[in-house]
Amino acid sequence: MDKKLKKGKSQELESEVYKKHTKVYPREVHGLFARLRVTGVVTLLGIYYLIPWFTWGDRQAVLFDLPARKFYIFDWVFWPQDFIYLALLLAIAAFALFFFTAIAGRLWCGYACPQTVWTEAFLWIERKVEGSRQQQIKRDKAPWTSDKIKVKATKHSLWVLFSLITGFVFVGYFTPIRELAAGIVTFQLGVWEWFWLFFYGFATYGNAGWMREQVCMYMCPYARFQSAMFDKDTLVVAYDKERGEPRGGRKRTIDPAEKGLGSCVDCNLCVQVCPTGIDIRNGLQYECIGCAACIDVCNDVMDKMGYEPNLVRYTTEHRDDGHETHILRPRIVVYAVLLLVITGSIFFKIATRIPLELDVIRDRNALYRETPEGLVANIYTLKVINMDEERHSYRLRVDGLEGLTHALDGKVLEVKSGEVLDVTEDVVVDPINLKKTSSEIIFTLESIENPELVSEQKSRFLGPLIR
Amino acid sequence: MEKKKPHKAIAILWPSFMVAVVATGIFFSTFDPVEIYHISGDGFELSGLGHYTIGFFSFWLLGAVNGFLALYFLKPCE
Repeated sequence: MDKKLKKGKSQELESEVYKKHTKVYPREVHGLFARLRVTGVVTLLGIYYLIPWFTWGDRQAVLFDLPARKFYIFDWVFWPQDFIYLALLLAIAAFALFFFTAIAGRLWCGYACPQTVWTEAFLWIERKVEGSRQQQIKRDKAPWTSDKIKVKATKHSLWVLFSLITGFVFVGYFTPIRELAAGIVTFQLGVWEWFWLFFYGFATYGNAGWMREQVCMYMCPYARFQSAMFDKDTLVVAYDKERGEPRGGRKRTIDPAEKGLGSCVDCNLCVQVCPTGIDIRNGLQYECIGCAACIDVCNDVMDKMGYEPNLVRYTTEHRDDGHETHILRPRIVVYAVLLLVITGSIFFKIATRIPLELDVIRDRNALYRETPEGLVANIYTLKVINMDEERHSYRLRVDGLEGLTHALDGKVLEVKSGEVLDVTEDVVVDPINLKKTSSEIIFTLESIENPELVSEQKSRFLGPLIR
Repeated sequence: MEKKKPHKAIAILWPSFMVAVVATGIFFSTFDPVEIYHISGDGFELSGLGHYTIGFFSFWLLGAVNGFLALYFLKPCE
């Protein structure tokens, strides 16, 4: 993006908007990109609203069970110990975003961002109730009448209802949704469920109903740094100035060349459809979310005028300057390589994942205890988590000190699938064998059925020094 | 550029919200709130989602306090 434009113009614009925000009334638009966006909206909202209703075996297919500290995603069960997967997943999402932004600009903003998706749904409701852009503007300027109150009340009721459903589904990702639905009908929901239902609903209503494009302009962190991923080969929505100027109104029958006019008929429709209320003809602007609504509407106009389409179109800075557009360029390669490496590592990690976790916690109350025989004992609390699909029996080994004995030696620990076993372990050593006040000992847990299921944990053994 | 109050509020609340989401994720994947409850011994009994909700809002509040102080100290002293 043009640096000068970014600094000068946008700051000026920003202070202007900060001073007085005027409501943007995006005009309805039809066309290729609008269809793509509607497809995106329906698909993404469909996924969001339907996924919690699927069952997998005897449980909800996707459930983030916070109280039980287990995340169910279809066949997988993730535990807090699997946080690394979430981190890797977020890294993949970030690099995918960088990658697609570098290639095709703000694809995410225009078609997939929840803000766009829900705003689109809210706009649809608004149009159904309030009518077209002109009708909305006219009504907002008109004084309050019973009819206006009725229309506004209807719109907001529908918005609130839609938001509450959204909030309900959100809670349904954390609390089994069928129980939740039953709880709502009978008014027997936990206070926190109610709270999140209303909180998320309120956020949806506020963001998609009222804040809309302001979220993109002032709140979105991605909008702030996305220009860093742009270069001269990135796809952007732009107006063909050469062809369009000088703009001006004219009759359809007139040959623009005779009148000395460009292809732009100055109908202003590109401004009216813009969800952020900018004029694409002023060049690249940071407010542009790349939704391509202006392309659709302008192509409609060009078609009616009998002109060539694509006066406003997806292009690159290089192509506009008459150069070649390079798809393969260093930054794309770097993003792609990073993306592949991280994706590869997550698959590797999942493939080699050992569904067994051992936590060793030293007793906090006493450093060590002396037995009547003069030996030193340390107490540990062991947590055995069986993350496998089947029940396992484990044996525990403790190594690291000479002549060490432990209470669980030779005992079999049985843990059901998905269960956590808490056991107390007593490790006893003759103080003669202690070289330091704190020595390292190693706990090794091994499955009897499958010796490949091994988990090792280090801990410390504390004791007095006898010299 | 002097910003208006609502925008200051957004500037404080929004970044702290995002940080709170991350902090809640990291914190609760390391510590089980039920265990913290057992260790501290007292405190009031909460249902499953309660711990997480209060944890999230505590992180949000802390972040917001931080943001507020940062904005406050940015003011020229006169």
